[in-house]
Amino acid sequence: MSTITRTWKVNGKPIKVRAPAGRRLLDYLRDDLGLIGAKEGCGEGECGACTVLIDNEPMVSCIVPVGQLADGTEILTIEGVEKKRAGRLLQQAYLECGAVQCGFCIPGMIISSYALLPKNPKPPTQAIRPPLSGNLCRCTG
Amino acid sequence: MNKAVSQSGRLIGQGMVRVDADGKVRGLTRYLNDIDYTGMLHGVVVRSPVARGRFKALVPDPAFDWSSVVVATAEDIPGENVVHMHDRTMPLLAEVGGELLYRGEPVAVVAAKTIELATEAAAHLRVEVEELPPLLTLQDAIAIFKKTPVKFDSMQDQDIVKGDLAKGFAAADDIIEAEYWAGHQEQLYIENQGFTVFPLADGSILCEGSLQCPYFPVHELNDPLQLPPEKIRVRQTPVGGAFGGKEEYPTMLIGYAALPALKSGKPVKITYDRHEDILFTPKRHPVWVRYKTGVKKDGTLTALECDFILDGGAYLTISDVVMFRGILHCALAYRCDNLIIRGRVARTHSFPCGAFRGFGAPQAIWGMESHIDAIAARLGKPPHTYRRQLHVRPGDVTPTGQILSKENGSTACLDLALQHAKFAQKRRQASRGKLRKGQTKYYGIGLSFFAHGAAFTGDGEAKFKAKGRMELALLDDGKPGVNIRVSSTEMGQGVHTIFTQIASDALALDPARIRFPMADTGLVPNSGPTVASRTTMVVGNVVYRASQDLKDQMESFASQRYFRGAKTVLKNSQFAAKSRRPLSFAKVARDMLTEHGPVNGFFEFKLPPDAKWDQVTFKGDSYPGYSWSANIAEVEIDPLTCELAVTRVTAVLDVGRVINPILAAGQVEGGLTQALGYAIMEKMGTGQNGLYDASRLQTYIIPTSLDTPIYDVKFVEYPYSFAPPGGKGLGELPMDGLAPAIANAVESAIGKRLRTIPITPEDLFAALHPAQGDNTP
Repeated sequence: MSTITRTWKVNGKPIKVRAPAGRRLLDYLRDDLGLIGAKEGCGEGECGACTVLIDNEPMVSCIVPVGQLADGTEILTIEGVEKKRAGRLLQQAYLECGAVQCGFCIPGMIISSYALLPKNPKPPTQAIRPPLSGNLCRCTG
Repeated sequence: MNKAVSQSGRLIGQGMVRVDADGKVRGLTRYLNDIDYTGMLHGVVVRSPVARGRFKALVPDPAFDWSSVVVATAEDIPGENVVHMHDRTMPLLAEVGGELLYRGEPVAVVAAKTIELATEAAAHLRVEVEELPPLLTLQDAIAIFKKTPVKFDSMQDQDIVKGDLAKGFAAADDIIEAEYWAGHQEQLYIENQGFTVFPLADGSILCEGSLQCPYFPVHELNDPLQLPPEKIRVRQTPVGGAFGGKEEYPTMLIGYAALPALKSGKPVKITYDRHEDILFTPKRHPVWVRYKTGVKKDGTLTALECDFILDGGAYLTISDVVMFRGILHCALAYRCDNLIIRGRVARTHSFPCGAFRGFGAPQAIWGMESHIDAIAARLGKPPHTYRRQLHVRPGDVTPTGQILSKENGSTACLDLALQHAKFAQKRRQASRGKLRKGQTKYYGIGLSFFAHGAAFTGDGEAKFKAKGRMELALLDDGKPGVNIRVSSTEMGQGVHTIFTQIASDALALDPARIRFPMADTGLVPNSGPTVASRTTMVVGNVVYRASQDLKDQMESFASQRYFRGAKTVLKNSQFAAKSRRPLSFAKVARDMLTEHGPVNGFFEFKLPPDAKWDQVTFKGDSYPGYSWSANIAEVEIDPLTCELAVTRVTAVLDVGRVINPILAAGQVEGGLTQALGYAIMEKMGTGQNGLYDASRLQTYIIPTSLDTPIYDVKFVEYPYSFAPPGGKGLGELPMDGLAPAIANAVESAIGKRLRTIPITPEDLFAALHPAQGDNTP
């Protein structure tokens, strides 16, 4: 498999990437960068526990090969969310509203919620449902 | 106000923020697969390729390089090849020469430095079998039960008998009989199963992973591993959901990993991916239940005969107790003087079914709550007025002869739910198979009403004697505080938070000085498994009483040490004696630890001495307490596509004292969502190849944020006064009764009763277009 050499920004920090083109972004983030916040729940893009932002779009990192991401790609993971004010407010809202139970889906949930806000800063409940429907939660539903 | 309520303090009843939530929202919490175990091997399980067959040989491919691979088979089991759950029939690994009883039955474990190498090696082990004809499904087993009952293979029988059934039927004006079916259900915790086993120098093993019941493996693996309980140490890692799925199964996983670990002397980790986890871990038992009921014209239920048969799979494991809980819930909620309930566990050549939230009760309540609606319809009575007439209330006698105490909020749940959902009024809008003016979809509303027995069945808690310890210690910040040492595991339900609340109130100590470390059998006494809706009720009481014990000891120390024997009270994190300057908790704790060494409060749970139970006849007090609920579901069905949407669910619950209303409401909504999936989405059976016919998230569909209805959840509180702070069971109740409420709503929408769940659009199409038979889209 060919090896790629790229420069991305991960959580605002420039990162020199050298990895096999077919390596899953999820494995690269967790194993090479130690960003364990994104979780593997199904490995086939169904559960959303591995969701990260790629150039501001929520994507399931278990089915993204690193070779697909060009130089200059910006990636935001749960570890980077709290560096943003909106991210901290979201985390606080999750705490206060009792949205967290086992917690395994929560990093992906928060990433999907964070992605929604710039498009719709004050979403009514019905507008929150579709963008979160790709994140399975078995505790709270 | 009763005793339990008056004794509660500042935090019990408050919506305190979860103590474990900060790490979870920041992505810092380290679940098993987030922990770096340097030098470990990865284990892969090799399985039977057939549902039933003679195991002739395990043949390694001679062309493969086996030099860096550890292979463990039944021959490597140091002791007896048996995992003793509720019987002693199931081997840890199948033995050559024996019979393979289900597809996927483990025959060997392969371990290597990478999961890729272990997987490749496993593929080079050929399992030679001589196939035998299997009995795969509950449908096949029930066909035998009906045609030739003597040939029906039941792994466990149990009957409940009350009154005189023949007399009851003789007194009836009408007899109503029907059968109800439900399929498998997968727990679908989002974190898959996994465990790491470390072999230690003294011959013992240390096991770390995701589980509910840390003491199960400690006692269930003694025989095969030839290790006494003190040489099997189990530590919980943060659990990413469990729902019963991590109750009995992790014992097997630890057993599988222990064999190559003991053989190689290296730690071995086994984690399943989603596909393997769905295919080869236990499911909710499929059920067939038949009710035959006799009623008088006025609605009196004079006789009830019930056959309740679960698909146990190939081995009993824990299915006897699932069936017991099932039959105890088959006719629990209604008055009936004459009944027989017969429970059976069918043996099939499929993966052994196991624990799943509700544990037999959802299957029983599914049948009963559908049937009560059917009886009401036959009588011409509305379903809610019939339930108001027939439901049990304090003073009534259960099928096992237990007299319900005044701590049962059955009527309050039913009445409040009906009133809150405007049931009677909305029921007039039900389509009954014909769109009303202004309706573009069939609308229906359905009700269910039920109880859930909290804690172990019968005298289980009396025999078990749950133990707990409150430990005075220096905490992670170097300052004194208290550690909660019980074997209850945090798996999302919030036990770390509510026990902190309970301990804080009982000790009168700032919750910031209380920690609940992950359960570790090396450090916690056995307070029992985290199952059976028992944790708040039983172990919560242990924490409360052990905290009081610690408080007494510290007050007595402070009185002698600083206040010349004057009465001393720990209040607001300070020790105070009359007209003396109060001393801080930290000072007293430090001095006490220095002068006394270890300081612990203890408690051991007991049931009231007058509680009686006969495990043979199933007579007596079947549960220490009962939680109650009424569910009301509203549905819309598209006449063209037959798409079914559940639009609103009202749930009123009596779970005793609500310790944390925010957590409780969240747990209820989640449980209702699982029940929604059970009712209309989650379809799974045993296929002709012996495997579950839905084995991926692409085919096993659970509810998402687009499927969940508007939830309206209300609590009424009838606390369990014997065991302050007075909680009853909460965990399972929300899973128990939504499926029949939805089926009853479907009946009210289309005018036809469906007696199999899940109810899919295909089923609705067939019901709405009977002339076209099986010609579904």
